[in-house]
Amino acid sequence: MKLNKIAKAAICISLLTAVGCTGDFEDINTNPNGFTPKELEQDFNNIKGGFAPMFNNIQVLTPEWVYQLQQGLSCDIWSGYMATPTGFAGGINNTTYSLVDGWNVFNWDYAYKYVMFNAYDIANKSKGKYDQFYALSLILKVEGMHRVTDTWGPIIYSKFGSPETTIPYDSQEEVYNQMFAELDTAVAELTKRVDAGEPSTFVSTDLSAYGGDYKAWVKFANTLRLRLAMRIVKVNPTLAKTQAEKAVAHKFGVFTTNADLFKIVSPVYTNPIATISGSWLDIRMSADMESILKGYNDPRTATYFDTSTQFPGQYKGVRTGIAINGKGDHQDFSGIGSVVRSKEIVLMTTAEAYFLRAEGALRGWNMNGTAQALYEEGIKASFDQRGASGAAAYIADNVKTAVAYVDPNFPENNSPALNNVTVAWDAAATNEVKLQKIITQKWIAGFPEGQEAWSDYRRTGYPKLFPVLKNYSGGTITTQFGVRRINYVTSEKAANAGGVASGIAKLNGPDTGGTRLWWDTTGPNF
Amino acid sequence: MKKIFLIFMIVFTAQVSLAQVKNVKGVITDSNGMPLPGASVLVQGSQKGASSDFDGLYTIEAQKGQTLVFSYVGLETQTIVVGDATTINVKMANASSNALSEVVVTSLGIKKTRKSLTYAAQELKGDELVRVKDANVINTIAGKIAGVAVTKSAGGTGGSTKVVIRGNSSVSNSQPLYVIDGIPMLNSGSGQPNDTFGSLAGGNRDGGDVISLVNPDDYEGMTVLKGAAASVLYGSQGANGVILLSSKKSKEGKANIAASSVTTFETAAYLPKFQTDYIAAAGADESWGAKQSSPDHVKDFFNTGVTQITSVGYSLGSEKSSTAFSYANTSASGITPGNSLKKNNFGIRQTAKFFDDKLTFAANANYTSQTIANKPVNGFYFNPLTGVYLMPRGNDFNEYKENYEVFDPTRNLMAQNWMTNRDIMQNPYWAINRNKSEDKNDYFNGALSLSYKANNWLTIASRYSYNRITSLFDKRIFATTQGTLSHANGRYYSENSLSTQRYGDLIATINTKIGDDFTFNANVGTSITNTLTNQKTILDSGISAGLVYANWFTLANFVNNANNYQTIDSRREVQSVFAATTFGYKDMLFLDLSGRNDWSSTLANTGTSSYFYPSVGVTALISEMTTLPEWINYGKVRGTYAQVGNDIFPFISTPTYYFRPGFTDPKPSAGPKNGTTLKPELKSEFEFGTEWRMFNNRFSFEVSYYNSETKNQYLQVVAPVGNQEGVDFYGFNAGSIENKGIEVVLNAGIIRGDKFSWDSSINFSQNKNKVKELPDNIGNRVNLTEAGVNSYRYALIEGRPYGVIEGINFKKDAQGRILLNDDGTFQKTDFEEVGNSNPDFMLGFSNSFKFGPFFANVLLDGRFGGDVMSLTQAQNDSFGVSKATGDARNAGGVAINAVKPDGTVVTSMDAKSYYTQVGGRAGITGEYVYSATNVSVREVSIGYNFNRKTLPFLNTASISLIARNLFFIYKDAPFDPNIALSTGQGLQGVDIYGLPSTRSIGLNLNVTF
Repeated sequence: MKLNKIAKAAICISLLTAVGCTGDFEDINTNPNGFTPKELEQDFNNIKGGFAPMFNNIQVLTPEWVYQLQQGLSCDIWSGYMATPTGFAGGINNTTYSLVDGWNVFNWDYAYKYVMFNAYDIANKSKGKYDQFYALSLILKVEGMHRVTDTWGPIIYSKFGSPETTIPYDSQEEVYNQMFAELDTAVAELTKRVDAGEPSTFVSTDLSAYGGDYKAWVKFANTLRLRLAMRIVKVNPTLAKTQAEKAVAHKFGVFTTNADLFKIVSPVYTNPIATISGSWLDIRMSADMESILKGYNDPRTATYFDTSTQFPGQYKGVRTGIAINGKGDHQDFSGIGSVVRSKEIVLMTTAEAYFLRAEGALRGWNMNGTAQALYEEGIKASFDQRGASGAAAYIADNVKTAVAYVDPNFPENNSPALNNVTVAWDAAATNEVKLQKIITQKWIAGFPEGQEAWSDYRRTGYPKLFPVLKNYSGGTITTQFGVRRINYVTSEKAANAGGVASGIAKLNGPDTGGTRLWWDTTGPNF
Repeated sequence: MKKIFLIFMIVFTAQVSLAQVKNVKGVITDSNGMPLPGASVLVQGSQKGASSDFDGLYTIEAQKGQTLVFSYVGLETQTIVVGDATTINVKMANASSNALSEVVVTSLGIKKTRKSLTYAAQELKGDELVRVKDANVINTIAGKIAGVAVTKSAGGTGGSTKVVIRGNSSVSNSQPLYVIDGIPMLNSGSGQPNDTFGSLAGGNRDGGDVISLVNPDDYEGMTVLKGAAASVLYGSQGANGVILLSSKKSKEGKANIAASSVTTFETAAYLPKFQTDYIAAAGADESWGAKQSSPDHVKDFFNTGVTQITSVGYSLGSEKSSTAFSYANTSASGITPGNSLKKNNFGIRQTAKFFDDKLTFAANANYTSQTIANKPVNGFYFNPLTGVYLMPRGNDFNEYKENYEVFDPTRNLMAQNWMTNRDIMQNPYWAINRNKSEDKNDYFNGALSLSYKANNWLTIASRYSYNRITSLFDKRIFATTQGTLSHANGRYYSENSLSTQRYGDLIATINTKIGDDFTFNANVGTSITNTLTNQKTILDSGISAGLVYANWFTLANFVNNANNYQTIDSRREVQSVFAATTFGYKDMLFLDLSGRNDWSSTLANTGTSSYFYPSVGVTALISEMTTLPEWINYGKVRGTYAQVGNDIFPFISTPTYYFRPGFTDPKPSAGPKNGTTLKPELKSEFEFGTEWRMFNNRFSFEVSYYNSETKNQYLQVVAPVGNQEGVDFYGFNAGSIENKGIEVVLNAGIIRGDKFSWDSSINFSQNKNKVKELPDNIGNRVNLTEAGVNSYRYALIEGRPYGVIEGINFKKDAQGRILLNDDGTFQKTDFEEVGNSNPDFMLGFSNSFKFGPFFANVLLDGRFGGDVMSLTQAQNDSFGVSKATGDARNAGGVAINAVKPDGTVVTSMDAKSYYTQVGGRAGITGEYVYSATNVSVREVSIGYNFNRKTLPFLNTASISLIARNLFFIYKDAPFDPNIALSTGQGLQGVDIYGLPSTRSIGLNLNVTF
């Protein structure tokens, strides 16, 4: 009976513990592989931790298929850089102007989830307390989000983080004004710290090549300002000039050497284009690239592209917007070259800074140099960046122009060359021809970053690209002018219907891929 | 060592048998004089018992003056006092009221008289589980229980099984709870695929489940509790119904050794049909080239699988204790080359009684170890079937079989040899030999129970059990595997998963009478369940990161750590108190009242972690209350209303930063919106039923109607991109899913002759399912499987049945003509509903025949209504390998009724142009939807019981020829619609290169010593 008593005692205890003990529920319900927000505050990781996702998702580095949908099957193609041999969705997709919502949503979502949110989060935690982090987050935010407004037009910007169910959109003009102001704040803050000789607290967090160097970040902010300034030159030339001259006149200036250029240096991820091209065979050299690089016999070709496996020793591009019977038609044309088989992803080149200044000089702005000198410096910087030789001869070439495109398998895709400018500067030429030269060289130098090249194409119309042969836009996008923007995505319409409506109201046109953005006027370049 | 133990036990018991001196013998027959095998004989007041053999012979040790009790299910129990005679022959009469004393095992292992049940419970005897043995015991219940839908996974032998009782009711989980001897079992698998394309983490693979690991020979029966009322005592885990397994109990006073051996041969049945008339153009992946005969290599790819299950069981019982031991070995080779399974089951069970039998102690332990090589996957990645089916015709398949790798002098290694570099179709023999996978599962279940009978009305019992499941998945992907799937140096993927469950309860059982007319019994108890599922460590060298040295598959050889991570599916603790009471009046009217309160850890931070739910039920025995005609033996009506609460996903209410593979931002992905909170799901069900038996119990039927609604489902909505919390999804409660249906079970002893008997049973069930409400802010829909880049999507849509299959259709005009574009291509719709995965009704028809020593059983299983989609057929069409494309080319094109925008009518289209647009995984998949209606000969067995007299030392022996999935009497789809790509909630009603269904035929040998 003693045993019986023990048993009874045990029963009572277990009964009590069973019904009375919910105190450790929160512990049990906390994922042991997770890290609580409180725990993250150690070492200020709650602030610093937000930077890595921003760096890694301006262009999505992983997984590769997200990059493909974010950029690879949209602006990388609309910029004329690349083409896909794959007939996704029966060949009726972004490349043939039937914009695929299920793809383009990744561009929007990744920007907001990883760039915009973290900028907002860092701002909340650092503004007024650790302003160097706030300043750096602003630069990255502008770098990441100008791509989004340049894709959609009106977007959520100043009202981000609002607890309301409807988050109103800003017009693109408002977004640009805020971005200029944010660059002002960032540049002032960091310049002050450089002047004070303050050591950087950003070293371990910096995933660019700058190693946390505030001065280098200021140069990047200035160059970014120059890029944004040039973008609005047709819609607001006065502000464009002011902002551009401000950037160049800043005491740290803009990019001048290739050590300055802005790139993500990933300890882990290779440029996703390497996999998309090399393993998936989903992206190839474009017909436009073939026409221009072949025409100029451009020494950079070998780093940009691989030779075709179907036509050994040759660079073969694929025309966009053609009828695709099977992937095998063009999958063995030229893949993307060694430039993408790298863990360094360049988002802004030094050459671009020179070409922007060249264009500014052409427009009569004070850019500390003549248009010709800056143009030639830009080409040299690009050759230098790519390890290509023969820049002098290339710059002097006043003979070679783009060549006709020939599709060896499907002659219906052939086209005569559309671009007729040579490389060599011609002081006697019209501004329009000079601009075409500048933008064509800028286009070549910027490869493979398609977002900026697409924006330049929309702004200037250069280089001239082969039109699509299949246009499934249902009349919303013209074959002549191509895709001007992306329509708002379905998920955003569902989650923030009122916001989307406010955006469309500020768009001044229907929510289609054919509507021009605020800075994309139909007016002449000069 | 085990063998020595076994031999020792045999010798020992043989000696015990020799020591017995005086026996009473006799023959037990039924009212017609037919010998009754398996009738039981007990010496009243003692623990001695015996059962009759196949000739009705029994032997029992007894003394003069003792009373022998003879009983047999369905017959009147007889008692006879032992006199001087040593032979007592007994003729047993049909019982007029046996249904009244029948006992059913219910929740928590509590036995109840069938008559008092207020809800539907259907039983299967152990014989049904092993007659046509399957390596997974739960596959053998298909077609045998009304209202239970059994769908096998496409994972081949050792794969998991989806069991849905009374329709899908939850967004997150519809699988029932399995309970062994009253203790809930953790039926955790290491995951199910839900990717239309195929997972890059080793392919779309079936992570298995635990029920597939148990030894069917360990159990003497199964009870299926279908409704919410039956499972209220298990709480949330039992919300989808409960399947109870009862262990074989040792027979007292008798040593028993049973052995069985089953060998079955599986062949691939229902392969897609292929063309043999056209080849691929040089260098092309698709077979749209010249007309040239090419052999059909597909059939020869598949092997004849062999499954051998050998099991042996030993048991010995005495008055005070019993011991049972079992061992089973399963060894199988699959129908795809390189696929094999090895499984070992060990079981031991010990019982003992103390203190004048007041205290009963029982302990059991089961251990299963299973290894599967190259478990079949579905989808397009890592699946050898895509290469087999799609290989460009005109190539010599055998050449690629013999030389799946060739020496690459530039790398100094053996490289894959295949004519194309496509991620969706590698050389199948490379996939088998150089992307080899191994699945290892270990399952341990240990349980202890103590039961103390305090007095004649109160028993207190306490139980504790521990389940532990470990799963290891290991895949070695060699260099030169296609670049989408692997790094150039190869890839190593290893996943190690642990799941555990600790369960403890304490239950007081009260059984008493209040006056002469009233009975009262009650179970009052408390329980605690602590579960951890899929605590995984995943090592993956990755696709872009890769291995430093080619083909060296170890962690230290990884280029970086980017894809290695740890994860947990769930961790929760549920504490409960519950009470279930039954009031009886004159054994004819019963009232059930029960209630349960749970506290769940998953509701931490939601205000309260406590929730309560009740049930009430009434049963009236009409046959006892009024005088019915003589031929009616039993009549009952019953009704019940119950609620079951279900807690929410773990971790949701306590968001943390978390590393997910492929994401570079560790912030929480889901959480409640600021200012909102989460609450448990609630299922309410009412059920009415009636049960009748007549003509001396030779005919019986049971009809049940139920209506259930599950509300407050946990759902996630995509959070607006500008959200303050920074989450991807907000979690919230909403939505409602309704199931209503009817179940009919009919049993008939059609012929009961001296030499020949025929028993038949039919079960019918119809379930109407409706998603009553899904909130606006998620578009009134939830995608259970996202389309990805394919034209298949599986969704819950408000107002529609659970699980709508969506695809893409032709755009048609009012006259039904297909609309074409200017260039002659088809116009397509957006995603729209093209089918529904739910059957309208299910019918099982089972027959057993006895003819002297011969016996036969035939089970027909039918599912009527519902649809399935075949992306396999669609893709085969677009690649020009299917028979349809060959026929179309031979016929000069495909006849269509179409019209161009300018009004030109088009009546025919070139086969290639048609099938490359319509076919394909992303094509016009509405054309690849088939009726899921099918009727199959599910099980057949024909056997012979040996005459005991001719057997030298055996007690019983039987041999039978068995067959499973013998053939379809009717089928529309180009594959077996009873096979699913996943046994989870997604990927239903679709085939994407799943393993073909198999037909198995074999031999079953059973002996007892």
